[in-house]
Amino acid sequence: MLVVALSITGVINRTRALLAGRKGIRFFQHIYNVRLQLRKGSVYSTTTTALFRIAPVVYLGSTLLAFLFIPVADLEPLLSFHGDIILVAYLLALSRVAIVLAAMDTGSSFEGMGAAREALYGALVEPALMMAMATLALFCGYSSFADIFSTAQEMDVNLSIVLILVAYVFFIIMVIEAGRVPVDDPKTHLELTMIHEVMCLDYSGVDMGLIHIAGWLKNAIFAVIAANAVAVTISFHWWFAAPLAIIVTGVAIGVVESLRARNKLSRNITYILTIVAMAALVLLTGFLLIQNIEI
Amino acid sequence: MFLYSLLAAAVVVTVALFLTPLRYKVWVATGVIVTAAIAAISLAVMALGGDEVTLAELTTLLGAESIAVDKLSSLFLIIISIASVATVLYSKGYVEGYLKRFSSAHIALHYTALVFLVVSMMVVVMSSGGFSFLFAWELMTIASFVLILFEADRHDVRRAALNYLVMMHIGFMFLVIGFVLLYNVTGSANFSAIMEYFKVEAPLPLFVILFIGFGMKAGIFPMHIWLPEAHPAAPSHVSAIMSGVMIKTGVYGIMRLMQGIDQNGELLYTIGLIVLLSGIVTGLWGVILAAMQNDIKRLLAYSSIENIGVILIGLGIAAVGHAAGSDLIGMCGLCGALLHTVNHSLFKSMLFFSAGNIYSKLHTTAMNQMGGLAKHMPITAMLMLLATLAICALPPLNGFVSELLIYIGMFNGVSDGHEVLYSVAGIIALSLIGGIVVLAFTKLYGVVFLGSPRSTHVAESSEVDSLRIGAMAIPAALILFIGLLPQYAIRPITVVAEAISGADNTIALNYFAPTLKAVSSAGWILLAIVLLLFALKHYLQSRTKIEEGPTWGCGFTALNTRMQYTGESFSEGLENIGKPLMKDTVDGRAVDKGEIFPKPHNYHIVHKDKVDSLLGQWWVRMLHRINEWVMRLRTGRVNNYITFALAFFIVVLILSLVGIL
Repeated sequence: MLVVALSITGVINRTRALLAGRKGIRFFQHIYNVRLQLRKGSVYSTTTTALFRIAPVVYLGSTLLAFLFIPVADLEPLLSFHGDIILVAYLLALSRVAIVLAAMDTGSSFEGMGAAREALYGALVEPALMMAMATLALFCGYSSFADIFSTAQEMDVNLSIVLILVAYVFFIIMVIEAGRVPVDDPKTHLELTMIHEVMCLDYSGVDMGLIHIAGWLKNAIFAVIAANAVAVTISFHWWFAAPLAIIVTGVAIGVVESLRARNKLSRNITYILTIVAMAALVLLTGFLLIQNIEI
Repeated sequence: MFLYSLLAAAVVVTVALFLTPLRYKVWVATGVIVTAAIAAISLAVMALGGDEVTLAELTTLLGAESIAVDKLSSLFLIIISIASVATVLYSKGYVEGYLKRFSSAHIALHYTALVFLVVSMMVVVMSSGGFSFLFAWELMTIASFVLILFEADRHDVRRAALNYLVMMHIGFMFLVIGFVLLYNVTGSANFSAIMEYFKVEAPLPLFVILFIGFGMKAGIFPMHIWLPEAHPAAPSHVSAIMSGVMIKTGVYGIMRLMQGIDQNGELLYTIGLIVLLSGIVTGLWGVILAAMQNDIKRLLAYSSIENIGVILIGLGIAAVGHAAGSDLIGMCGLCGALLHTVNHSLFKSMLFFSAGNIYSKLHTTAMNQMGGLAKHMPITAMLMLLATLAICALPPLNGFVSELLIYIGMFNGVSDGHEVLYSVAGIIALSLIGGIVVLAFTKLYGVVFLGSPRSTHVAESSEVDSLRIGAMAIPAALILFIGLLPQYAIRPITVVAEAISGADNTIALNYFAPTLKAVSSAGWILLAIVLLLFALKHYLQSRTKIEEGPTWGCGFTALNTRMQYTGESFSEGLENIGKPLMKDTVDGRAVDKGEIFPKPHNYHIVHKDKVDSLLGQWWVRMLHRINEWVMRLRTGRVNNYITFALAFFIVVLILSLVGIL
């Protein structure tokens, strides 16, 4: 799990470099960057309050706790209970609230803009996330990640197509939550067009490092869930799911980022709502399939 | 006996409040309310532990009734007691600012109404139905009307109060019709007679009539339009008790109605669907409009509507689940709804208290004139942050626990194959509500407390007195308790849920207990992780240099505070989606894109409810027409009037001859 979290960004960077014909940076360059940041000093805006200093910690803390609930195929998670899928969703919401409030705390118009967008996209993506989870719950009859995926492997093959679609929904949710192309471009240098990166404009040093680590964890959460859903239908072992999560998501994001530009911001809402609609469709298909099987 | 002593007490309290010197009126009111609260809580504890406690038996116009405390009443008694004690403590500081402006009688009237409101709410939840219920219900309406009218010299206050009074009486009429129907068929107007009625007559009409009556108080769509008008007009502590507790009496009525339905499949199912659907619509409508508002108290009022929606979703899922034969779904939904009722009364009163703190310092509730208040009112800011996180249903606070229970109910519905589609509808609605609540409240908190001040008033503001902070600490402590130790908080809730649904609570307890224990430990782990990370950060930073500087302006150096994101701009994205739900009223003119050197502009936008305007237009026009028609009869000539009188007698004569009269 941790390995997944640490490597996805590396794979993305390598893919991008490869496609652009560059030699590219080292695979673990992002980790060195963060290590450097953790050793640097910080500058705080005089506008900010204590909330600004606590927010990155809450951001990372809640993401970390959510991270502990995610199994990698047959590898049991550290924590698990009935209904933990809801806790995970709301922990991610908590992390979002922390960073949005921190952005508002700086009083900068750019960060306010990022915060407003993040809050809106987060609100719209929530139903998709819940529906994807409900689809999983529908198949497996459980509402904790560990149980879902451990029972899922005994399932009928008919449903595998639905599971792959669920994985796709989770992948898109990850793209939206992590602010990658086509929703947002983390590499852009024009603050006006950013969402995710613009919210942490005023962070530096240790805080920035913490935010980066939280970002990796968040990516890994969604990537692993998606990989689990796929792995269920093929081979339910951690040595299959983990590389799948790293390579497929990493390469997919890298390829998408190299080949297409980001959406116009006004189109993002349509993009997110499409995913919500798709999640609803997947859930409905799953429901119909289940009903057929029972009959 | 009980009633007479209550009446005598009412007279004594009123006289005492009018006679005591100005500064001590609040203490008289506090004394009375605290006494009532202690009595209510001890009754509630007795009823929760054992059997019903009957205080009085009486015979009224509508047959035999009783004032008694059963398990459902006791839960509401506890909610009412806690919120009213916090409210009266808070009111001291808030009303102090008005002591010079208003006469002694005015203040006395205010406190008398407050005492009456509290006591009448208690009687409402204790009454077995019928006349005593309607009497207390009406008293509650009138008391709250007087409370809203506190600043009666403001035109908008008078208007909102009148609007409230009219709406409430429409609801009251429905209740009267419902209870009289009930009495006519069964010979008793008690809630317990509803079951009998449903067996004899078609149940749905009565249910709908009473549902509308209670829904008017609870603010169920489309009867919610009084809330966003009344709350900004009322003083903050009144908003707190009205929004935190009084609208819950509507929910209480609906719960009583559902209690009357004996697990009789078909009917419970239909009613569950009605409740679930109205919950979904109410919740979504409330939250989308909440996110648009630029006035703190309007935002909070819409968020109350949204929370009523969440409670109804829980109730609806519970009823549908029970009807489908799953006690587990039923218990999850019901416990979630009950706990959310408690939770909402806690965080909503805290939020209104915070709004009151701000209003008493800045004399406005317009969000876009604030900003950076956290520096001037740090304790209010901290308490408000707690309430904000709680209302966003974030772990590890109480809002999360109740929403989790409702979610678990719905996820069980999905996974067990019971009513999958309705559960999914509930899940989608609840998650969308959850997402937009986050948007609404990060907007509220961010624009009001964070950033830099948008007006000079902010710089002159300071923290409020410690009694008000103390009053806010009561709900704050309970929020933390329910959030961090939900496994203990759920016990009384399951007892009440058992009494309502008739299902065995051991199923639920066996199912909840491990989950809630896990939620509780997850909460503590979260706190531990955050603390550890903070220590780590502190350690890492202790070796480096920490500097302070201005906010990064992205290369632009002439930043000013007016460039900050305002509430309006924060919710702009959602506004594009939610446009069909609103009708905006705009004063002034926005800066045109073609203006190269813009002059100062005035621009004031209020996002009003579409229902409001539709309903307003429709019946105002009707009333005008009826009025015109009636006015034609007023000719001013005596001979015409005598003709009318004669016509009246003739009509009466004919009617009595035919045998109708």
